[in-house]
Amino acid sequence: MASANPFPSNHRDGRRHRSLCMSETPRHDTERELIRFAAEGDARAIRTLYDRYAPRVYAVVRRIAADDDLAQDYAQEAWIRAIRALPTFRGDARFSTWLHRIAVNAALQSLRKAETRTRREGPAPEDVPVAPAHADSLLRKRLERALDGLPEGMRQVLILHDVEGYTHDEIGDVLGVTSGTSKSQLFKARAKMREMLASLSGSVKEHGAEAWST
Amino acid sequence: MTTDTLARLVDDEPQPQERAHLEGCEACADELSALRDQTEALSMLPEIMPPMGDWEVLEARLRSDGLVRDPAPLSKLGLARTPAWMPAAAAVVLFLGGGAAGAGLVSRGPADATRVGATVEEAAAAVRDAEQRYVRAVSQYRSILAAEGTDETDVDPISRYAALEHLVSVSQAAVRQAPGDVFLNGFLASALAERDAAARMVSLTDDNWF
Repeated sequence: MASANPFPSNHRDGRRHRSLCMSETPRHDTERELIRFAAEGDARAIRTLYDRYAPRVYAVVRRIAADDDLAQDYAQEAWIRAIRALPTFRGDARFSTWLHRIAVNAALQSLRKAETRTRREGPAPEDVPVAPAHADSLLRKRLERALDGLPEGMRQVLILHDVEGYTHDEIGDVLGVTSGTSKSQLFKARAKMREMLASLSGSVKEHGAEAWST
Repeated sequence: MTTDTLARLVDDEPQPQERAHLEGCEACADELSALRDQTEALSMLPEIMPPMGDWEVLEARLRSDGLVRDPAPLSKLGLARTPAWMPAAAAVVLFLGGGAAGAGLVSRGPADATRVGATVEEAAAAVRDAEQRYVRAVSQYRSILAAEGTDETDVDPISRYAALEHLVSVSQAAVRQAPGDVFLNGFLASALAERDAAARMVSLTDDNWF
């Protein structure tokens, strides 16, 4: 659907969730109707919600999963949960915020399950997945690749804070850690990311290198 | 300064001694600037389109979980609840040009149907328009029958067939615009079934001269 992006990118000054950045538009009335119909199982309404929010859901889930195949599974799980829970959506928060939180939780829980399974079955082969190759800039590819290569705990905090705009308190709620732990992980993640981008660029300077730049 | 400290200063104001260090250390100032740029770049990462076929997989799962229901197209329009004679009655109106609504519909032949709008919305609007005309014609003919005391079962299958053929044409044009639209496909399927049933009725009539 070629309508306005419901999840405009956030800027750090705003410090808001991307999912909270939807502008006030008449679309909201339409969306309330859509949600009501979708909650009743109307196929067209569900499809419309999917078309509107799937790229945003997939993006956050993909970055948390760091793997294309897993991301599709997790995104599907998120949608199933969301559609199932639609009758309980009261509209206290924006639908985009509500859906985003479901997507994050679904991805994190699925990841934990997968890890438990991996521990039982033995380690998977070493493979650092690479983000899908769109016509992205080199910078974007490097960022996605470096994100994929971060240790999981750091990656989750970095994505939720720096990409998605969660506060440390919110990250604490989602991940079940203290906000202090979230901060500590974030600073380590940023530093690690900086190192990885530098090594990916192949043009590392000792200090202050614009390693992530093209 | 450590990289962790610099990473913190992306969000926090530096303490006086940290500020003093940054003012005197170009390397740390550059590193902080790079970390800020990195964080800004992360906040600008775009959405990612799901892989092709993602909706189809999801839809299948939603259906298997019973989370999706498709409204029966004709029942959604109220046609399924109309008496059996009504579609045929409307067709008579349409065929004979007996009313404004019917005349309007009849005047739009299949050739018009293929000129349904260039967008999905226009195509869907054309179908809705045809539906509304059809329903109006049904109502109008019901009024005529009521006024004249005509036997409701005495209707013309050929006229009914003609009206349904028009609905099929418009629906087909709409589906060509939006091949994946569940509602339009459902409506087309229903219209085709009704038209074929009408065709069988036509073949049984006495005046089936062709």
